[in-house]
Amino acid sequence: MTSPIDIEGGGTSVVVDGEPGPEAKGEAVKLEGRSPGQLMWVRFKRDRTGVISAYVVGFFFLIGVLAPLISKLYGKNPYTVYADERPELFDSAGVPVQPNGGISSEFWFGLEPGNGYDVFTKLIYGIRTSLMISVAVTLAVVVTGILLGVAAGYIGGRTDYFIGRLIDFLLAFPAQLFFIASMPVVVSLFVSPRDETPTYVRVVALILVQWVLGWMGLGRILRGTALALREREFIEAAKVSGASPWRIIRKEILPNIVTPLLVQSTYMLPNFVTAEAGLSYLGVGIVEPTPDWGQMFSKASTELVMQNDITYMFFPGVSMIIFVVAFNLFGDSVRDAFDPKTAR
Amino acid sequence: MTEDIVLPASREKNAGVDGEPLLQVSKLTKHFPVKGGFPIRRTIGAVQAVDGIDITVHAGESFGLVGESGCGKSTTGRLITRLLQPTTGTISYRGQDISHANRKQLAPIRSEIQMIFQDPYSSLNPRQTVGKIISGPMEINDINPEGGREKRVRELLEIVGLNPEHYNRFPHEFSGGQRQRIGVARALALEPKLIVADEPVSALDVSIQAQVVNLLQKVQKELGIAFLFIAHDLAVVRHFSQRVAVMYLGKIIEVGDRDSIYTRPRHPYTHALLSAVPEVNLTDEDSAGARERIRLAGDVPSPISPPSGCRFRTRCWKAQDKCAAQEPPLIQISGNRADHLTACHFPEEPTIEGRDEDIVLDPALAALEEGQAE
Repeated sequence: MTSPIDIEGGGTSVVVDGEPGPEAKGEAVKLEGRSPGQLMWVRFKRDRTGVISAYVVGFFFLIGVLAPLISKLYGKNPYTVYADERPELFDSAGVPVQPNGGISSEFWFGLEPGNGYDVFTKLIYGIRTSLMISVAVTLAVVVTGILLGVAAGYIGGRTDYFIGRLIDFLLAFPAQLFFIASMPVVVSLFVSPRDETPTYVRVVALILVQWVLGWMGLGRILRGTALALREREFIEAAKVSGASPWRIIRKEILPNIVTPLLVQSTYMLPNFVTAEAGLSYLGVGIVEPTPDWGQMFSKASTELVMQNDITYMFFPGVSMIIFVVAFNLFGDSVRDAFDPKTAR
Repeated sequence: MTEDIVLPASREKNAGVDGEPLLQVSKLTKHFPVKGGFPIRRTIGAVQAVDGIDITVHAGESFGLVGESGCGKSTTGRLITRLLQPTTGTISYRGQDISHANRKQLAPIRSEIQMIFQDPYSSLNPRQTVGKIISGPMEINDINPEGGREKRVRELLEIVGLNPEHYNRFPHEFSGGQRQRIGVARALALEPKLIVADEPVSALDVSIQAQVVNLLQKVQKELGIAFLFIAHDLAVVRHFSQRVAVMYLGKIIEVGDRDSIYTRPRHPYTHALLSAVPEVNLTDEDSAGARERIRLAGDVPSPISPPSGCRFRTRCWKAQDKCAAQEPPLIQISGNRADHLTACHFPEEPTIEGRDEDIVLDPALAALEEGQAE
């Protein structure tokens, strides 16, 4: 407000008032607004890197989902011990006779030295296991992050203080070390050490351990977002209308945290994939005979495989590099599409 | 103010003056605690944002609240809409005390007191369509107008001068002025009796301000809604309000009808405020007769430790010992018209005629002026 003349001396204002905005005049019949989500989708589709990496990522998930079908069409499964069934393919040490780990028209990616598992089905089932665990961890982390982060940010005060200190406390743990140290402990909570550990227990333990130390980053970001949103006037407008806190969180805050949520989870998922592979590589995650990406690395680094079949390493290695790089590029594109104003 | 401004004459007398007031605020205070200390945090002081104010708003009336930044205007508005809980004092709406009512108790009154916000870019949820934003209050209060909520929303959009076809659009597709109209439509959705407008035009372009003010005036006149109009722009308040209160540092220092405040102000602060309104002098004659200014020194004192006695005394050119010792009561001092209350021991003459000389309290400004004169 600077000058009184514009308000009281302006003769035109009365005419202008009451008329629809200038935008309305030339509009056609159909007036449908584009939501922020639709605009994001339009921007994302323009980003070639993003679309290509989305296809790559989608391809991996498709493989994971369709693994049983693919192996059925291919006619093999990852549990068959070919060293027993087809001993003519292996020498006395259990190494495939043919070069490059016995790659042939029958075994596309060769055979694993030792037990002689089929590498192709092992890889696609491994992708399935790894992605399933990572998606489960991501979902658990997202739910926890929303619950605790939004609660801390919106309620504030004492709640915020305690959740904040809990986050600080958990962030102080060295994550990798904690995973390695706590995996056997968590597993032994479910089964006695003398019994054979069922695979599902290992899977649940992997999910649990990564979840406990995985949600803090997202929780903090969502707390900040909720804190900023709480001070916005549209929240006050809802309060003036008598909205309940639950309604405000559900209708006013949640739709506005979708952006940081999606961006963060696309960054988190590949991290969980590599972390899970790391644990299996170190022998505290998934173990033989269950196929798994990290377990394949572990296998590839054993002396027998390392010395006789260097090709074996390439299949899990290359596929994981492609997946992680594509997913990270996809995450970048999602971020760019959501907030185009922020420079990278 | 130049003399050729034509004031809308028709509604000098408002209908609802007699009878029970719509909103009665008495001795309202709001102190925000200041925490400090280590290792144990405790309250070490209080920001006395609002410190004992009385406001009465009658049905259908437009009441203006002016004052400079940080004087507690917006806090007052938020207290009345009960976004904040008052420290002491009472707010009664139609005789019902709502000063400490909780959300459930407030529910029936919520629909009658609505608010228009300052920043149209922050007051609309970017993820909701216009239709959802405006029908939200109806949904919360479970109001089902005839012909459905969508029809009502389209009507409201028409009332505030937007195309009803904008129903499915999102806020980011509108300009600031249009967004503020959406905010007005949302406030109107519940057919309120009182609207607290917290600087509804300060964030807008000057050319748009007039449109929105005129819209609010139209709404006020046609729908008979009482307004508590909070602003720091004297001209807008003069245009809009029948009664005006001037706030300084958490207190009301002068209150009266528009004419009294704008043409017969008594409090030195009101004089200073009015003289600070910029003028446009188009001819040389005008500039020759331009009135002198009052220029205050420094800033508003800290509301954590306000001055004793009269709060304005630290910046007042008439301050004497009495001002520090004794707080002036808000009363009808001699020479005031009825209902014109002033809180001052040594009031100014009730005039806005040009004074003989500049009152320049800021030493830096004074030095500058002298340099120019030589």
